[in-house]
Amino acid sequence: MRQDKRQENETRTTDETRKDREPGLGRRQFFRALGGGTAAAAAAVASVPLTPTEAKAYDPGTAETRSRYRETDHVKAFYRTNGYETLKK
Amino acid sequence: MARMKFLCDADRCIECNACVTACKNEHEVPWGINRRRVVTLNDGKPGERSVSMACMHCTDAPCAAVCPVNCFYTTADAVVLHSKDLCIGCGYCFYACPFGAPQYPRVGNFGSRGKMDKCTYCSGGPEVDLSVAEYEKYGSNRLAEGKLPLCAEMCSTKSLLAGDGEMIAQIYKERVIKRGYGSGAWGWKTAYRETIAI
Repeated sequence: MRQDKRQENETRTTDETRKDREPGLGRRQFFRALGGGTAAAAAAVASVPLTPTEAKAYDPGTAETRSRYRETDHVKAFYRTNGYETLKK
Repeated sequence: MARMKFLCDADRCIECNACVTACKNEHEVPWGINRRRVVTLNDGKPGERSVSMACMHCTDAPCAAVCPVNCFYTTADAVVLHSKDLCIGCGYCFYACPFGAPQYPRVGNFGSRGKMDKCTYCSGGPEVDLSVAEYEKYGSNRLAEGKLPLCAEMCSTKSLLAGDGEMIAQIYKERVIKRGYGSGAWGWKTAYRETIAI
């Protein structure tokens, strides 16, 4: 009895899946179509001449890289207080 | 043109970590990131030395050489800065840096890293000077204010020097001429007698 039921279930599922596949594009047809598409795309790419583009390094601009250091009174005081006797003129 | 440099006088550093604290406070550096650290050699032994370490702003910076997105640039003051807008947090610069300067905030679980963070020599980043955006990403821009890095200005024993490379080299030379260096420095023989020499 159980075996008969199993067989019934299996035949049902295979029939259902077949029905699902029939109207749409099958797996094999899908890959065939995809293969044809990629070959066409590859041919199109090959026909365009390859022009290498140079990689561009980050250029922050002159405003960002300009000098910000100034020998202000504050900085001079730092040098004076860090120096030994000779800088305490 | 002045070249900005750091110089730590190891004969004077007492490992107080004031430079580390000053840096973290000035730039509001998040937890888990230290732009500056104090490294101690021969800890607890005679001849112990401490050195305050951060980005040394290399002339030919290895971090910039390995960066896959070229986010590093060197200013006219010879300060190595980077753009956090470009950084992808890959970690290459950390492996390239001989000083372990680049740091990465942990932004999520599973060890994901955020944008790299490092010492900016208190000179901000590519954003407009002293802007809010610059402060949020890189911290304060003391150089644009006519000041020097706070770590050096804060140093209690005047061990950490910052500023024009030629100027601080001159200051250090004068110190060495006056007091000596290493085992020849003033006070060494009082502390360690004559048995230890470096």
